[in-house]
Amino acid sequence: MWVQRFLSRSAGQLKTFSRQISVRIVNETNIEVLEENDRKPLTFPGVWLRDNCLCEDCFHGSSKSRKLDWDNFDTRIRPVTLEANEVTKEVKVKWSDSHESSFSLDWLKERSFQKERQKDYLREFYRPATKHWSGAEFQEIARHFSYEEVMSQDSVLMQWLQALAVYGVALLRNAPLDEGVVRRLAERVGFIRRTTYGEEFVVQAKPGAQNFAYLSLPLPLHTDLPYYEYKPSVNILHCVVQTDSPGGSNMLVDGFHIADILRRDHPEDFERLCRVVVDWNDIGSEDGREFHNIWRAPVICLDAEGRYTRVNHSVPQRDSHFNVPLAEVLPWYESYARFVRLAIADSHAFKTRPGDVLTFNNIRLLHGRTGYDDSEQNPRYIVGAYLDWDIIYSRLRVLKKRLGGGKI
Amino acid sequence: MTQADRRDLVSLPLESALLQEQDQPRLVWVQDPDRQDMQFPDIWLRDNCRCKECFLPQTLSRLPQLWNSLDTSVRVHRQSVDAAQEILYIEWSDGHASQYPFSWLRERDFSSANRRRYLREFYRPEQKLWSGRDFEEIRKVFCYQELISCDSALQQWLLHLATFGVALVKNAPLEMDVLRRLSNRVGFMRRTTYGEEFSVRAQPGASNYAYLAAPLPLHTDMPYFEYLPGVTMLHTLEQSASPGGVNLLTDAFYVAEVMRERYPEQFRVLCQTPVDWADIGSEGDLQFHNIWRAPVINLDAEGRCVRINHSIPQRDSHFSVPLEQVRPWYEAMATFVGLAHEHSSGFKTTPGDVLTFDNLRLVHGRTGYDDTDRNVRHILGAFVDWDIVYSLLRVLRRASSPDAP
Repeated sequence: MWVQRFLSRSAGQLKTFSRQISVRIVNETNIEVLEENDRKPLTFPGVWLRDNCLCEDCFHGSSKSRKLDWDNFDTRIRPVTLEANEVTKEVKVKWSDSHESSFSLDWLKERSFQKERQKDYLREFYRPATKHWSGAEFQEIARHFSYEEVMSQDSVLMQWLQALAVYGVALLRNAPLDEGVVRRLAERVGFIRRTTYGEEFVVQAKPGAQNFAYLSLPLPLHTDLPYYEYKPSVNILHCVVQTDSPGGSNMLVDGFHIADILRRDHPEDFERLCRVVVDWNDIGSEDGREFHNIWRAPVICLDAEGRYTRVNHSVPQRDSHFNVPLAEVLPWYESYARFVRLAIADSHAFKTRPGDVLTFNNIRLLHGRTGYDDSEQNPRYIVGAYLDWDIIYSRLRVLKKRLGGGKI
Repeated sequence: MTQADRRDLVSLPLESALLQEQDQPRLVWVQDPDRQDMQFPDIWLRDNCRCKECFLPQTLSRLPQLWNSLDTSVRVHRQSVDAAQEILYIEWSDGHASQYPFSWLRERDFSSANRRRYLREFYRPEQKLWSGRDFEEIRKVFCYQELISCDSALQQWLLHLATFGVALVKNAPLEMDVLRRLSNRVGFMRRTTYGEEFSVRAQPGASNYAYLAAPLPLHTDMPYFEYLPGVTMLHTLEQSASPGGVNLLTDAFYVAEVMRERYPEQFRVLCQTPVDWADIGSEGDLQFHNIWRAPVINLDAEGRCVRINHSIPQRDSHFSVPLEQVRPWYEAMATFVGLAHEHSSGFKTTPGDVLTFDNLRLVHGRTGYDDTDRNVRHILGAFVDWDIVYSLLRVLRRASSPDAP
């Protein structure tokens, strides 16, 4: 039975702008809302609506959060009567526990359970869908932004973070050459993710360094800190001084693209690299503090739906401990060697210049650099820091809400 | 080492087996006089060669050049053992030569018993789950001063925290920097949207639900982060004299196991239905809109619980699942919440206590309290991450037992 309520005469002047809203209860528990001219009604589970009642008793306005008493929440709750108001665009529900709730049509539409609406919400607002690329496509996908504009204009900040989320890499140009750049940039987004190596780190040749990256040797493709369960998400590398010697070029590969190739052309290798758990580690000390980090995870990590959540790769930071059955070892090496070969073949090399800030997704991309000749006449000085995706996505949502470009 | 010291290994029984079953991995057998023979895949040994070209002692890490074009078909050309010095020598088909001390090999033995030992004793201690009625048995108290001054006390605290997910620290000074000193002792604080340290006391008009004096139902902190803060530390500065303000704690991994056994279908629903966890607000100048989509019960590939998400206020009204999954999820969640209450334990901290617990595993809450000028409750909080805690546990273990890896 559709409950319909027409505009009262006193609000008649609004009639031409208002669409009729029809509401009804289906299967005793669900609620259907149909706006005039729409073909399909929106359907909402009653139990979900009751859980999300927005009245003062159930919802805390200033913290925008639910305060419904779940200790006494009865999932058998049913809607008893419905009422739609075209003027206020609200739907009122009276419940079997005699509670009453009111929901605006906009609020309901934003939370529609229609598949397409949910997909849009997840792709445009939750986390932008990623687009994978091969090394040959690098010039097409690499977006450049002005450091000053990122710092001063919210819309440019949003574009930078969006590009970073979608392609996993973006380059900022013309940053000043002082050491505070990475911190200012991180604080424009949120805050620096601290690691065992501190907040900001300097990459320059250090004889006797405890970390392989601090040597001027070629640094093969890798992800940073695979030995953390809580791996830093995005690298910010600010080029302050670049070596004049032929080396010191950056190399980047989209690890998700390499995974796509394996999945398509070498499914057995793909399966193995997704399944076999590898010990990643880092043993050393920084500022007098010893650490022994280990995280066990496959090279390619998938979520329950088979989407990539993370790629781990670092030759120096793979432990000699390998906690798998003997029979797994050789096949895994063969699969991993193929992964590494494909990544090397697909890597794109370019050299940053002083004032460039290279930002990339450390969960997804592999990076490296060619060796260089480090001497007093030929130094190279990079300042780095990390940001976490939790913080970046949050910032992106706030900007999208304010500037448009994303749904709430 | 002279050639004469070397003893050729008895011809490998495996070689013949290999000829028959070419799919078998190529293994190097090492006879160990003190224990069972050990077996190692040849490619793994080559990958882990300890010579200067392959391994950099100052970084304790593999040099990566071999991997620019790794040849997985590399074979053992010749192998021998120095029984007195306990060293395995290998000459490879690529002309390279390697040597491996037995002590190093034993530590990395691929037998399932050794691997299990390593993972439990060194990687991450095995967790022991508990119900609220057993809380008194697993409850352990540590002295703040000892944690600050004594490494073995520090190690015991972290080991207890890793195993049981909760440990109580007593007799901390009533100063604002206690959590910072404790975090620095472990490593460093985990910063979140709310800063590094946070203060929990009744604040009218608060933007976070925890800052109200109303009862705070069982929850995990910050489920809306992909990287959930690992360990919560709560330092009681002032405690309400009113009957409320009692801490509630439940081992939600235990609850998940109860559900797995008694309500398998509801357990499956809570493991497979992604929920939108959210937090919208601002702290200082920073506006945030955090969302993370994940089930209530999160399992690893082997089906073990690795994380629980639960917070009524921080569950988004957006619920991005097909319509027909909604009701079953609510029914399963109601069971979970009921069980979490049934298995909770309650106790009231006193000023100077630092309650520390695993935020991936436990749900915590507090009963309501009467917050007035004469009846104040003031708790300081901070987080440290498990990556950092486990790292220190390994360092302490190596320092206290020389034979650790």
